[in-house]
Amino acid sequence: MAAKEALEILGKISSEFNFKGEVRRKGRIWLDTPTEGFVDFCRWLKEQGFEHLSAISAIDWPGEGMCELAYHLWSYLDKTLITLKVKIDRQNAVMKSVTEIWDGSAEAHEREIHELFGIKFEGNNNLTPLFLEDWEGLPPFRKDFNWREYVGEKYYDRDNERERVYYD
Amino acid sequence: MSARSTMTEIMNASASTTISQSQPATEEGGYDLYFGPAHPGSGNFGVKLKVAGEVVTSARADPGYLHRGFEKLMEYRMPIQNSVLSDRICVLEALNWNLVHAEAVEELMEIEPPERAKYIRVIMAELSRIQSHIIWFGAFCIGTGFETGFKLAFGYRDYILDLFEMITGGRVYPAGYICPGGVRRDFPDGATQKIAQVLDQIRRMLRVEEMENPGLVGRAKGVGILKLQDAIKLGATGPVLRASGLKADVRKDDPYEVYETFDFEVPTREEGDAYARYLVGIEEIRQSAKIIQQALRQLPEGEVIAPKFKRIKLVTKIPEGDVYVRNEVARGEAGMYMVSDGGDKPYRVKIRGPSFLHMIPVLEHLLTGAQIADVPAIYWSLNVCPADLDR
Amino acid sequence: MPIKESTKLKRLIKAIWIFNWFNSCGFIELIPVVASRWDMERFGMIIVGSPRHADVLFIAGYQTLKSIKRARQVYEQMAAPRVVIALGSCTMTGGMYWDSYNTIKKLSDYIPVNMYIPGCPPRPEAVFEACAKIFQHVEEMD
Repeated sequence: MAAKEALEILGKISSEFNFKGEVRRKGRIWLDTPTEGFVDFCRWLKEQGFEHLSAISAIDWPGEGMCELAYHLWSYLDKTLITLKVKIDRQNAVMKSVTEIWDGSAEAHEREIHELFGIKFEGNNNLTPLFLEDWEGLPPFRKDFNWREYVGEKYYDRDNERERVYYD
Repeated sequence: MSARSTMTEIMNASASTTISQSQPATEEGGYDLYFGPAHPGSGNFGVKLKVAGEVVTSARADPGYLHRGFEKLMEYRMPIQNSVLSDRICVLEALNWNLVHAEAVEELMEIEPPERAKYIRVIMAELSRIQSHIIWFGAFCIGTGFETGFKLAFGYRDYILDLFEMITGGRVYPAGYICPGGVRRDFPDGATQKIAQVLDQIRRMLRVEEMENPGLVGRAKGVGILKLQDAIKLGATGPVLRASGLKADVRKDDPYEVYETFDFEVPTREEGDAYARYLVGIEEIRQSAKIIQQALRQLPEGEVIAPKFKRIKLVTKIPEGDVYVRNEVARGEAGMYMVSDGGDKPYRVKIRGPSFLHMIPVLEHLLTGAQIADVPAIYWSLNVCPADLDR
Repeated sequence: MPIKESTKLKRLIKAIWIFNWFNSCGFIELIPVVASRWDMERFGMIIVGSPRHADVLFIAGYQTLKSIKRARQVYEQMAAPRVVIALGSCTMTGGMYWDSYNTIKKLSDYIPVNMYIPGCPPRPEAVFEACAKIFQHVEEMD
């Protein structure tokens, strides 16, 4: 297969599926995708040459009541990066797993997001804690967990003269 | 009041962990072995091994000893404070991570640094890569029992650290020398001559014949073989992937800064064992020295920081948007995904470290079926930095 | 009759054996102390592999909740007389990560510390100066 340019790839995606996207600069495509049929779309992308899953990121938007997931895929042949952005509900955060397509790398990323954000992935049965031991409480990276207040209560002493500055 | 109660909570909670429990034997007669953080042959990580005789039957990684929650710490600080914090993502290659963060902020604000600043950044990043590969060489020698190699390596590394101190002010942490907009200050007088002298010393180190110790070769050849299909499936990048046969390097495929103007090669090997990874690392030091020489010849005159950042203002608003930046740090492919909502602090920063996937899927796959005595050689040949794994 | 504490310590400082609890970035400047530029083996100090052989415990850098439990176990395994040296500013006040939910802020609440070395990270020469101060302190004990 000869290498393709980013605009060509975007044109192919728009003709097969009906997704809106843009090419921001050389080698970067950004797409907004819905959750239905997401796993089939990923399987189609892997056949087109996007073999490397670079990262999965999660962003918390409490004001809009939803969490956003961004999947970054890289193709060694076409030298292009495509980013897929998916929105899911925040209270009941569940998403289908992509471990059947990208195996070990997807499993590790989903495990980390499950621990730090509290998002469940159906189909991944290895969602055990990774970094924290005996942690009961809110998932630490959500926006409603204020770190400076938490540290002020648990670790610093308000009566101690030298530590009082950490409370401003 | 608060700290004392925390201590009793922590010490009581330790009864529920598996540090001091003895494990029952399995049906085959094997037992559990914890290869943990205080072992002299390991780093800051833990691996739970199930062992039968001398052979490891399964392995499970136990990271998290260094988890600080870096990504959320960056949300409480402004970009100028973040550029000082970004050195500490991985201590062994501080300047490379500085560059990743600076590129992310610049792409969001749509600012180009001047030409001289780009060349200086490339020189500092390549020096940091050489220094990181020297640490890899020294640690690999300790892991396989070649003590002289360790002393050689760290002796030569100090030439580079003295150079860093002369240019940036700090031996290990440059305190945000590469900041959004360019670099903080220009080279002092005599820096370019000193860089040329340091490169001569590095070349002399690579010519020493004692580097090919028969003990090292015997312990590393044929150990920990990673096939190409497994490497791509499990997400390996950088020297680990190149030693398995695929010629992929972010500096050539997705160039950033001024890497298009340099002429260098990307070393690859076919075998995929620990010795192949070691040879790829040594060859990369030579190629980095070649890049620095070309950069010194092509270094233009001019400003070193963009005019918008010339006088340090504390509050700079970042426009709304998101960006994903990819770089090649010494260990593999580094990524940073930054989202901003228009304020003066980033809304979300996600850091993709190369060691995250080298540790959890790749190491567990390689240790299955290996001998206990090979575990340090396999671990050190993957060049894992636990700090950018836990963040 | 029982031996005095100061006599025991005076015999020890002839050649001290060190156990490194290297958990974080503050440790990176302890490696040149062992390697060829500031060689510490010429003073008789070596690194040992087990805390039961050690006289001095070097704790460098920040500790997370997961690793302070292990550090406490290591400290309890050392036999008296023992000395604890804490490196870096993260052991004094929390350092760069003062607002992190997972790191501890003052090491002396968990393990009794005899000497602090400031810096981020402290230079190798500072480690030798700290050792010299300990020797002087022990010589002056009665």
